[in-house]
Amino acid sequence: MIEELIGILERENVEWEIYWETGRGGSFRIERERLERSQRKFHSGIGLRIGYKGRLGFSYVTGLNHDRKTLEEFVKRTIKLARVSEVPFVGFPSPAKVPRVEGLYDGRIDEIPFEEAHSLAGEFAARMRELKDDSLTLSGSMALAVTTYGVANSNGVRLEARGTGMSVSAYAVKKDGKTGSGSYYQTYRSLQPFEELENALLSAIEEARLSYRARKMKPHSGEVLLEPEAFRAVLGIFLENLFGDGVYHGRSRFSRLGEDVAPEGFTLIDDATVPGGVGSFPFDGEGSPGERTLLVEDGVIRSFLLDETYARFLKLRSTGNAVRDFRTTPHIGTSNVMVVPGDENLGDFEGIVVRKVFGEHTANPVSGDFSLTVELGYAVKGGEVVPFRDNMLVGNAFRLLRSISSVGKKTLRRGSFISPRVVAEVKLV
Amino acid sequence: METLIRRAEELAERYGISYYEIRVTRVTASHLTMQNGQLEELAMNTEIGIGVRAFNGAWGFSSANDMGRAEKAIETAMKIARLSKGDSKIHLGDPIRDRAEIRPKRSFLDVDVEDKLALVKEIDSLLRDERASNRSVHYGDGLKEGFYFNSLGSEIETVVPRLRLSFSVTARENGEMQSYWKSFGGTAGWELVEGIDLSHWTDFVKEKAVSLLHAQSPPSGEFPVIMDPELTGVFIHEALGHAVEADSVKNGDSILAGRLGERIAVEELTVVDDPTLPGKFGSYVYDDEGMEGKRVEIIKNGVLLSYLNDRETSALLGLEPNGHGRAQGYNYQPLVRMSNTYVEPRDWSFEEMVEEVRNGLYMIGDKGGEVDTANGTFTFGAKEGYIIENGEITAQVRDVALSGRILDVLRNIHAIGDDLRIEFPGYCGKGQWVPVDDGGPHVLTRALVGGLR
Repeated sequence: MIEELIGILERENVEWEIYWETGRGGSFRIERERLERSQRKFHSGIGLRIGYKGRLGFSYVTGLNHDRKTLEEFVKRTIKLARVSEVPFVGFPSPAKVPRVEGLYDGRIDEIPFEEAHSLAGEFAARMRELKDDSLTLSGSMALAVTTYGVANSNGVRLEARGTGMSVSAYAVKKDGKTGSGSYYQTYRSLQPFEELENALLSAIEEARLSYRARKMKPHSGEVLLEPEAFRAVLGIFLENLFGDGVYHGRSRFSRLGEDVAPEGFTLIDDATVPGGVGSFPFDGEGSPGERTLLVEDGVIRSFLLDETYARFLKLRSTGNAVRDFRTTPHIGTSNVMVVPGDENLGDFEGIVVRKVFGEHTANPVSGDFSLTVELGYAVKGGEVVPFRDNMLVGNAFRLLRSISSVGKKTLRRGSFISPRVVAEVKLV
Repeated sequence: METLIRRAEELAERYGISYYEIRVTRVTASHLTMQNGQLEELAMNTEIGIGVRAFNGAWGFSSANDMGRAEKAIETAMKIARLSKGDSKIHLGDPIRDRAEIRPKRSFLDVDVEDKLALVKEIDSLLRDERASNRSVHYGDGLKEGFYFNSLGSEIETVVPRLRLSFSVTARENGEMQSYWKSFGGTAGWELVEGIDLSHWTDFVKEKAVSLLHAQSPPSGEFPVIMDPELTGVFIHEALGHAVEADSVKNGDSILAGRLGERIAVEELTVVDDPTLPGKFGSYVYDDEGMEGKRVEIIKNGVLLSYLNDRETSALLGLEPNGHGRAQGYNYQPLVRMSNTYVEPRDWSFEEMVEEVRNGLYMIGDKGGEVDTANGTFTFGAKEGYIIENGEITAQVRDVALSGRILDVLRNIHAIGDDLRIEFPGYCGKGQWVPVDDGGPHVLTRALVGGLR
């Protein structure tokens, strides 16, 4: 059917691009140690962009099984939109060599019978019942998905790829007069052994026990170690300013490359080519090759994140960061965001450590100011660990980046974010 | 549809399913986005899909956006439910046959796309200012036509229009940058747009963004805080609303579990969640489980009276169902969610409240929030504020987040104003996004302020 649609489009005197997607997913939700909700979902559809006399039209249809008449109407409707639209059209990408990224597809996820996945979720629930005690309530989820997507355009791009994914989460609440909670979340490209589910549970329980003992700490100003999950929240505020659309439209703090934003030794990369990376892809949502982009090198901004449109507006080259599904036109997003490890061994750090914060969407990305609630932190002194929570972590993302004094050696991955621990100046209220 | 109903009955019998429900939805939507005078998005689309839930002591769910797979989705949900056999109970109730349509005065489907584009352009040009490095306008509307049926014999047709308009300005001067924005929305038609004083609100947004460039960060620490009606809305949504969603009670995840009938707040506090308010953004007639959406007094005179619930949590907790099972779309399972949540007004005037504060803050506007319902801590962001010194409003402060502990902050409410407003449309995320509204009067309480000073 895709070929038939391309045939119809090639007869029109327009530039065109189609993005198609078909996928299915199974997910399982365990509540109070019981498998309560299981689901299997299917989705498919095609997004069509038409460029006509410098203007862009877009529409989509769901499903991949359409008769010729429906396809012809789909094309006609989108061309009509392009004629009346005032969305500027600057061109689609041309064919380019696409990298081979290993480890994005695992046949075991594609082929696993639903019953078997259901039974794995059942074992996950059974393990929760074993680990539960009177003060603990455990819940969690597991999901498996497979997706095939493709891009074709009038410049000759013809690409198709498939990928698989798995996600696991666990949540523990410890209540015994006082309350504490802990959580764990991870995503993968391949089917994981039961040990990963168990590891998720044990991590959540360990965190709930720490949180149960945690109290509010006295205010502090100065050096704090941020674990990767807390650092991601602050870095996200900075990262918003590197999106090419924000730069072009004056919503970013930055307008040119080469600005100094962090100390030497701080390097930040967006890399779509990490083997088995959950944010990896061989080509992006408009067919540009996935690539490794140095965003900040030794403290200096080297690149923005770009799709084809904003790369052309800014007279730069696309970094292959067009993210989309068939319902949307491409927008700029990240692939795998990685903070390059430093040479400090922060494993035995003594001082104040912040593990998790929440509320980062209340931060101001243009001024950089943030005040986030500490979900869990701890102070280490003489090997003793004293957990705390409910303080606010207050600062400015741009100033915090400049104040980084140490970057750890060992990295941790959470989904598509990979980072070591970092030490920076910040305030706890 | 008749064929689907018959097919579902046959399949339920074959798989031994005691209860099922099916939602077929059609959404016709348009979106227009403009930045700095450049149109970025002009989309008009219609999507149809089906979502099926089957119950066998646990839920099986399946969805498809290709109606050619509709029967397959019904069968898949039922097969999963058969496989899942659990021991949960749900409220069934009597069948409902109804057609409920929220009728706007002027349907946005009757408005040409050229007129919608003209509106977006007009707002963009009103926002134009040499101090603004960015102007953004977003217009979205969607007509959701739903058909719900279940194994009890319920057949409910609903038609709900929803419209949202928002615009923002980012101002820049001497290396400083600040943004401000305003949103309008409701279960309404084009008349909502026609009722907005555009030149007033665009001037308002511009001036706020520019004035914030010169504002200071607030001090940090615990202070008396007067919240404006918009901030009261997000405060009560985060500080109370999520903790009374009965799925979190069920999962041992709410600090308010087991506390029905207890005094948990000051006597003056009454909090309501009401999906039946006409025209509000979070309004609906029936929820996504085919239950009538009902007004719920969550807290009455300081006493926790009720949780928000769905078919499952009302059966588990022995509560009267109140129709708060909502799904983002046909391809999501319903979860317990809020609708329009607000604090009932009392008798304080704003001026009296300000006079009451010796050393505190007046914080304004909603920047969203987040809550940890198990530990009872929440955060909510304000767009701007002012210092209050000895009963006088003084210097402007810029956006900042505040935090508090649910039970402390509900007991620390010192004054509740007489000026109720519920007109702050937004989306609430809980793994899924649903439209909600919230509000209240001005409220004086204490909170932890995360300022840089």
